[in-house]
Amino acid sequence: MTRNGNGSFPGHLNASPNAIRTSQSLRLMRRDVLLSGFGAILAYGIGGGSSEAAGVTTDPNIAQFMDISCRMTDRQHLDPQVGAALYNGIIHSVPERKAQLSKLYNIMKSNNPGTSAELAKAAEQADPGFKDVIHDIMIGWYRGVADGKVVVYRTALMFDVTKDAIYPKTYAAGGPFYWTTQPPEVERPTGQPALSASPFVVEPT
Amino acid sequence: MSSDQNLSADVVIVGSGVAGSSIANELVRAGISVVVLEAGPRVDRQHFVENFRNLENKPSYQGPFPSTPWAPHPPNQITPNKYLHTTGPNAEAYQQVYLRMMGGTTWHWAGCAWRYLPSDFELKTRYDQGRDWAVKYEDLEPFYYQAEVMMGVCGPDPKVEDLGSPRAQPYPMDALPLSYAAQQFRQLIAEQTPWRVVHEPQARNTRPYDGRPTCEGHNNCMPICPIGAMYNGSYSVYHAEAAGAKFVTNAVVYKIERDEANKKVTAVHYYDPDKGSHRVTGKYFVIAAHCIETAKLLLVSADEKSPTGVANSSDQVGRNMMDHTGVQVTFISGDKSLWPGRGPLETNVIDNFRDGDWRGEHGAYLVHMVDDNQVDFATQLAISKGYVGKDLEEQIRYLASHTVRLFSHNEALPDPDNRLTLSKTNKDALGIPHPEVYYKLPEYTVRSCEHTRGVFKQLIGLMHGTDEEWTPGYFPQDHPSGSTIMGTDPKNSVVDGHCRTHDHDNLFIASSSVFSTVGTGNITLTVAALALRVADTLKKELLHA
Repeated sequence: MTRNGNGSFPGHLNASPNAIRTSQSLRLMRRDVLLSGFGAILAYGIGGGSSEAAGVTTDPNIAQFMDISCRMTDRQHLDPQVGAALYNGIIHSVPERKAQLSKLYNIMKSNNPGTSAELAKAAEQADPGFKDVIHDIMIGWYRGVADGKVVVYRTALMFDVTKDAIYPKTYAAGGPFYWTTQPPEVERPTGQPALSASPFVVEPT
Repeated sequence: MSSDQNLSADVVIVGSGVAGSSIANELVRAGISVVVLEAGPRVDRQHFVENFRNLENKPSYQGPFPSTPWAPHPPNQITPNKYLHTTGPNAEAYQQVYLRMMGGTTWHWAGCAWRYLPSDFELKTRYDQGRDWAVKYEDLEPFYYQAEVMMGVCGPDPKVEDLGSPRAQPYPMDALPLSYAAQQFRQLIAEQTPWRVVHEPQARNTRPYDGRPTCEGHNNCMPICPIGAMYNGSYSVYHAEAAGAKFVTNAVVYKIERDEANKKVTAVHYYDPDKGSHRVTGKYFVIAAHCIETAKLLLVSADEKSPTGVANSSDQVGRNMMDHTGVQVTFISGDKSLWPGRGPLETNVIDNFRDGDWRGEHGAYLVHMVDDNQVDFATQLAISKGYVGKDLEEQIRYLASHTVRLFSHNEALPDPDNRLTLSKTNKDALGIPHPEVYYKLPEYTVRSCEHTRGVFKQLIGLMHGTDEEWTPGYFPQDHPSGSTIMGTDPKNSVVDGHCRTHDHDNLFIASSSVFSTVGTGNITLTVAALALRVADTLKKELLHA
């Protein structure tokens, strides 16, 4: 990937396309409006406020979802508009998720876990069914998908965590032949799964 | 029922993919009038790019291209299928996808532009397998070059890297630089095996070409190049239209009309989406409607004069269905990070298994190390393993940088029993039967795939791979061919070496359907070369008659 002299990406905002989009995340995107619904727009306001997980919504269910999401991603900041769209998609896909998320929130509050792994283990121990709930949350934030639909593509967290090496398909911005250079080396991680494994099903083409 | 009796041209072409549109462009620029009838709609690139970005299942190459009720195409490679109904012992291996819309299936090809080897045209003579073509490599060489210039093909200098297909001219553009992942793979193969990795010839720009930009490596050649750096048939459509060719979209040809003697085609009939019927007359007719749709149209045109279908006195229409059925494996490399997916999708190939005396025993094949962005795959895999939070993010980075996918294109042979017929139970919105294909993988191909699996296992070992995931069975490579097979004998073939049907003097077929064997490379450049040769024949006959 082409970098300038100080090792950063060339171009606007000195960042990869993902970071550029993230910096604009408070701008209300058409897709987000469509998927999050009018209620969510009212809850978050248009174009204003903080991207802090808490304190920006009047919908307690979405506020709880944002708290759970921050814990499950080990992040302090997540986009509330994306969160509202994911929440609505998840409970539309599986209506029982609404109550399950509320229970998961209570587990989080009573156990006060320090990491995502602690919460995931506590939840699965309390009820194996929470694994699917957590999968929905992970797929939502990292793939940008809920209810089988794309909520966000370029700003999905899977691209945020790889933005120093690779572009989302159709969003390359390194210029011709950027691909010939050496990307960053990644050491084998030492972390362990927090949940029991699930069958890995590759969607057919 | 409406009827438009006025539509007529010197040459009437059915299908606007790379074959039909390139013939149209050549003819109209020579002063020959052309009408092209396309079953599907007129479409534009940005619409497909937006569809792709909103697609949840990103590897679904058909996903961004929904079909219309009047021109359905297979929605996916799933068996049973809603359109292409496959049966037989290897039904799933023939679950091809293709597109019925302006520009054709090259909207989502990967741009791999191989010339066939001279031996590919002489499989029977050299290896006592399959058939010989009724055309030799040297007959096609000038048209290969013409096709490369038309598409804008980049490739290696033959003095540095000879791909085995003799060239009179260099590639129009320099070879595409290999990605870091491909460079590492190439080095590994060079140092630890007797094989080699070559630059794959690509119909994508390594410099601005034909009004289109240089490739920027969006890694989305399939299903849609977002900037038009990769050629697809729509560009030949635009050129042909600019020169005066008439393209009629949403025109589903359903009947080929012949004269009393059944020697010449006099007209084709098409339905519009409301099933209004239209008749289009011409001096010459070219069916360039994709291997499967071409055979379907000939069969559906059966009448009293041709009870088994048009151009089918040999009973070979719909038979000899072939493909480059493949083997695929995904695994996690234990070596340094590769980060596949930086740059175009397919840039490198092991070409040592394209030709050799062993072709008397098993089919040839190419090996691709696919340069596909693995971030989404890595994310789904890591979530399924049970990772969350920071540990998940570390896994995504590791898996995305170490996932390797290998696949092969394995050669089939023509077998008359592998046959396309018209469905007796499934019809489209216009009442036209869906295609059905019976498929049993030739033993020649099975042995080839077994050889490939052995090579892949060796490669996995060299890369200290783990977590092997083999795609079950055999998977289709969307290179259907053979359904109107070429030959010198009208008793056992449908077209001659110039792609003219044996039965009808003024009816030509421009499609992979004429392939006598499936060859050892992606089919599209050979389709284009044959099509340009058809255009050359038509020009000679129309301008110098």
